[in-house]
Amino acid sequence: MSITSKLKEAVLCLRAGRVTLPYPAQSSPLPARFRGRPVFDAAKCIGCGGCASNCPAREILVYDVCQEIRIIKYLGRRCTYCGRCADVCPEKAITMSHEFENATPAIGDIQQRLELFMSTCQRCGRCFKEPSKLEELKMKGYRFDDLENERWVFRSQAYLDGQPVVDDIEIELD
Amino acid sequence: MVAREKLNLLKDRFGTAIQRADLPAEDRLFVFIDRASVREVCRHVFRQLDARYIISIGADDRPHSGHFLVAHNFAFDRDHLLASFLTQLPADDPKLDSITADVPAANWAEREFRDLVGIEPVGHAYPKRLVLPDGWPEGMHPLRKDVPWNHVPEGFDPDREFKFDEPPEGCTVVPFGPFHPTLDEPAHFRLYLEGEMVRGCEYRGFMVHRGIEKLAESVLTYNDIPMAAERICGICGCVHNVAYAQAVESAAALEIPPRAAYIRTIMLELERLHSHLLWVGLACHIVGFDTLFMQAFRIREPVMWIAEKISGNRKTYALCVIGGVRWDITPELKTELRQVLDKLETEWTAVVAAVSKDRNIQRRTRGVGVADARLVKEAGLVGPVARAAGVPGDARRDHPYAAYDRLDFDVITADGADVWSRVVVRMKEVFESIRIMRQCLDRMEPGPLALDIQDELPVGRMGMSSVEAPRGESHHFIITGENNRPRRWRVRAPTYQNLQGVPAMIKDQQLADMTISLGSIDPCFSCTDRMETVDIRSGAQRIWSQEELLRLVRRR
Repeated sequence: MSITSKLKEAVLCLRAGRVTLPYPAQSSPLPARFRGRPVFDAAKCIGCGGCASNCPAREILVYDVCQEIRIIKYLGRRCTYCGRCADVCPEKAITMSHEFENATPAIGDIQQRLELFMSTCQRCGRCFKEPSKLEELKMKGYRFDDLENERWVFRSQAYLDGQPVVDDIEIELD
Repeated sequence: MVAREKLNLLKDRFGTAIQRADLPAEDRLFVFIDRASVREVCRHVFRQLDARYIISIGADDRPHSGHFLVAHNFAFDRDHLLASFLTQLPADDPKLDSITADVPAANWAEREFRDLVGIEPVGHAYPKRLVLPDGWPEGMHPLRKDVPWNHVPEGFDPDREFKFDEPPEGCTVVPFGPFHPTLDEPAHFRLYLEGEMVRGCEYRGFMVHRGIEKLAESVLTYNDIPMAAERICGICGCVHNVAYAQAVESAAALEIPPRAAYIRTIMLELERLHSHLLWVGLACHIVGFDTLFMQAFRIREPVMWIAEKISGNRKTYALCVIGGVRWDITPELKTELRQVLDKLETEWTAVVAAVSKDRNIQRRTRGVGVADARLVKEAGLVGPVARAAGVPGDARRDHPYAAYDRLDFDVITADGADVWSRVVVRMKEVFESIRIMRQCLDRMEPGPLALDIQDELPVGRMGMSSVEAPRGESHHFIITGENNRPRRWRVRAPTYQNLQGVPAMIKDQQLADMTISLGSIDPCFSCTDRMETVDIRSGAQRIWSQEELLRLVRRR
């Protein structure tokens, strides 16, 4: 009968009571694994650029000012907080923080710019171990993403076939 | 071996038209057929061998083989076999016979490869533009390999309008959407009405086609794509994430560790739970029963919380990488998940007890939006829509993946073929999902979460994967390629087929039932950038262009 159905539905609602949370006046604790904005630790970063190569949204840029200085810039615009950068980071320099209330009128608030001093490898200048075949670092030499316009630039030979490599260094093997 | 049997059947009948075949596994079959007999073979497979049509795929293979490629994918559900019938087309003459006359379900897929790859389905009865925007120049096909991913075509005309068909005589046109209160996402139906009765409609969608496939084929890499695939759908994201990973694994013959298989199963079922609860809520909302809408969402919330605890996000789980999963389910999470399931089961039992006798809902949904078994076959409908028509199709049982072959569950069917039956199917499936997850939690053994892949993935292999999304079978097809990325990746979401059944479902019923009929397939759409206004006093119509709208908005 429909009338009993209506009664049952009424009981359902009454039993539940009020469930609305007092957010944002009061926030509830976040689970430990929560993936918020990634935070980069310049002290731990070795500048391998694995995060930049493996970011699905292409939100991390790498620019080599000279042999010794590498800039890594996190753009924070369309980052989906997937956490792949933190996964592949060999030094655990990236943490997925618990920050998620990131709406801001100034994009600089959530961006990060790391200026790293790079010690030089005697063989090629830039060589780091690849975590696996599927997570190759995809660049052997130097890299020059467009920091002004915040765009990724493909210049590594390992990345695209048929593209000239800019200033790639010949590796001499003995 | 079923694949071998089917191949022999075809060889006996078509002889040399079957050029070569690849049987990489017991449940996969790739057959290369002669261009001249495509239509004949597909008709035979669809009608005589009674296969279910999945999708047609067009690919530009010129850089590798010098040919274009078309694949017509069919499923032999009872034999647990996925089959792909491939044809190579010469680069200077990319044409082949349309199969839509024999396989009506192929209508959209053929129009799609005509738009995107420029392969002409000869003899297609309705070769109208489907995917590309109205202003896109003719003869420019974005999925061809010589088109860069970020190419902006010359001659793009933002003001060019889509030409709708003439409505049948005596009918009034009522535009439904792109923005409509009952649609979560925009889509445009042009309904032809005679009085209150819907006599037909024309659909125009794909307006913000995001080109994820192109991006995957030219910019992203194997392990980037799962995170992009997940964003194909806001509700069944994990499904695409898993289906993509499985397609690659099937192409590269990788077997994932058992623990990863169980975790994938659990996350997929969690997703089904939240999706079905959401859908029951929305369906109630559409028919004006907001009490249950609120309660369904309340009951759903703990599912979102436990997903967040396991994966770090309520909805985008970012679960898979090639060869495994990223998140483990610890003993604490296991206990918590069990508690969530117990509570959900009790609460959902109460809801089902209340709703299943509710006469108001039944009057609003019984006999509405009928899609019978015949329409299911012709239009290739999948998921709860097919099961509500008594067709017991379920990729979890028919084409087992992850850990489903090790689990015990029922495929829920109903025989009303109407919206009410779809409500019943979905409500019961919630209990099956709970059952499946409990079994997974019991049987999960400790072990690695992902394979350690040391070699590059083989190039030029093909893979297929079907995953049962909450709203139907989601099918992914992949050709592996160089540079750590696929050459071709094709996604067929369940709504792609189910939407094609909507015109038949809403025909000859009242306009007021349109919303729930459409809602009953649980659709996913895109949006548009144009608006029509009608001056109520004068009745004059005016179409606003995008530029005028922008000016209007910026004026304040």
